[in-house]
Amino acid sequence: MKKHETFADVISARGIERRDFIKYCSLIGTYLGLSAAMVPKIIFAMETKPRIPVIWLHGLECTCCSESFIRSAHPITADIVLNMISLDYDDTLSAAAGHQLEAVRKQIMKEYKGKYILAVEGNAPTKDNGVYCMIAGDSFTNVLKETAADAMAVIAWGSCASFGCVQNARPNPTGAQPVHKIIKNKPIVNVPGCPPIAEVMTGVIAHLLTFGKLPELDRLKRPKAFYGTRIHDQCTRRSFFDAGMFVESFADDGAQKGWCLYKMGCKGPTTFNSCAGIGWNEGVSYPIKSGHPCIGCSEPNFWDNGPFYTRLAEIPFVGTNSNADKIGMVAVGAAAAGMAAHAVGTVIKNKRSQAETTEKED
Amino acid sequence: MARLYEEQYVWRLPVRIYHWINAICITILFPTGLYIASPIFSPSIGEAVWYHQMAWIRYIHFGTAFVFLANFLFRLYWALFGNDRYARFAGFQPWKPIWWGQPFKDQLASYLFIRKDEPNYCGHNPVAALTHFLFVFCGSIFMLMTGLAMYGETNTGGFIDTLFGWVMLVFGSTHAMHTMHHLVAWLFPVYLILHIYAVVRHDIVDRSSTTSSIITGYKHRVEECPEYAD
Ligand code: HEM
Ligand code: SF4
Repeated sequence: MKKHETFADVISARGIERRDFIKYCSLIGTYLGLSAAMVPKIIFAMETKPRIPVIWLHGLECTCCSESFIRSAHPITADIVLNMISLDYDDTLSAAAGHQLEAVRKQIMKEYKGKYILAVEGNAPTKDNGVYCMIAGDSFTNVLKETAADAMAVIAWGSCASFGCVQNARPNPTGAQPVHKIIKNKPIVNVPGCPPIAEVMTGVIAHLLTFGKLPELDRLKRPKAFYGTRIHDQCTRRSFFDAGMFVESFADDGAQKGWCLYKMGCKGPTTFNSCAGIGWNEGVSYPIKSGHPCIGCSEPNFWDNGPFYTRLAEIPFVGTNSNADKIGMVAVGAAAAGMAAHAVGTVIKNKRSQAETTEKED
Repeated sequence: MARLYEEQYVWRLPVRIYHWINAICITILFPTGLYIASPIFSPSIGEAVWYHQMAWIRYIHFGTAFVFLANFLFRLYWALFGNDRYARFAGFQPWKPIWWGQPFKDQLASYLFIRKDEPNYCGHNPVAALTHFLFVFCGSIFMLMTGLAMYGETNTGGFIDTLFGWVMLVFGSTHAMHTMHHLVAWLFPVYLILHIYAVVRHDIVDRSSTTSSIITGYKHRVEECPEYAD
């Protein structure tokens, strides 16, 4: 392990020009919503601060976060993202394996006690003593707790680590729990998305490096800079939404003309993310722009708020094909039927009591 | 048989005004809300900016929602501080076992045809009070809290979001909150059926002018006058 190397050292050793380095720093500053005056601070931090050692754990997950991370948009980011931090342990990307790799994790935990960052991709199945995800002979839940104990902060990458994603969708057979349900006493930042946008991931790390603390977080512990706005409010198709011009089927005229995908089940109105701003794949596009409704992948429980292609969600515990309108109409029907029956009852009752009084009078 | 009608002033003006503003608001909120969820008319001639159709429907929903809110707060004030024995919350104490006592049981038994007589109340009978509490009071609070939380999301960290944004945490996600706002919206038509039926039925059964009382304020107590019996 190389020690006290700065990020700038690493990239210059790689032959990356200073010009590109400055560009990258400005870009990150912009994404983070910092003023231009802060950019020198980012540059200074990158040039002088030793790289932060990072332990990157993989629990129950699909590795799409890693895939996204290594595809950051800026021309030199393939290098930057992997070198900005000192990614000392990552069982997916490391050359080392087995006991060797586990030894590295233990070593970092000891040498950088309280100084390293724990990045978690995936979550922990807690049922049956965590047997549904075993790493190096131990349950992931234990590995996670052990590694978090001496971390400076925890980054929960992706919807799995942040909220649970598909693993803890109903009925959650493995008892999968997101990181914040297991680690209680550490600063945690959630970076949801399936996967999160690469620039968002590097942005969070750049912030940590520059300021030595987590960025400002919202109620769901997400960085406000990236998750403060709904996709719907930044969407390129929003004018069609306001006009009421909707795609009715993927084959119709509206679909070709790029109308709003609301009626195709778009979850943009209930999803906080930067897709419509930063975009994907070097800012080329994002799902809605490409003609597919947003599935809300960065929202908690998005699998349970489906189906993906209808606007109205299924109602939990009532079952598939239920929705608020169907249940509501049944309730209204039941009320109307009940009242009709009661009216008949009232008429019968009145007839009887009338008969009784006449009997008495007779 | 002759009958004597005793006039009673029950619903004072603030209560009547509240009632009708509330009725109008819900009549607007429910269909606009359903339309927001399932917009069925799609204008397809001309430019998007000409129509603002969806925007208008949402605007009407939100505008009405704030009238609904103000009206609700006004009624709350009247219930807590108004000097109005028929509109006050003071008598409504379902947390005390005694509230569920004989009057409540008698009224319920009467509605269920177990008792023959029809108890007569000037204000709300206990079963009606409970129904109002569940549907109108709790239902409105639920719609207001979830509605304002959704409304605030356009401007996170803004005034409304700061006050009501936390409501989302109760549902786990914004989408689940939309779903519940939508589901609970159906309480209102269900309530409407129960409400109108009960009012008209009372009017017919005990001839107490319940229906017109919410316009005039007056109910009538009916007494048989045996001395005039023919
Ligand atoms: C009797 C009262 C109300 C009824 C029956 C009602 C009904 C509805 C319905 C059915 C929806 C569609 C939900 C969906 O599927 O997304 C809706 C949406 C909404 N309502 Fe209400 N609502 C009521 C009161 C309120 C109040 C008091 C507010 C407060 C501002 C409010 C704000 C909203 C918002 C922000 C939306 C989401 C609109 C969108 O996603 O574009 N509602 N309402
Ligand atoms: S496509 Fe989706 S996010 Fe875009 S305006 Fe329509 S509903 Fe909103």
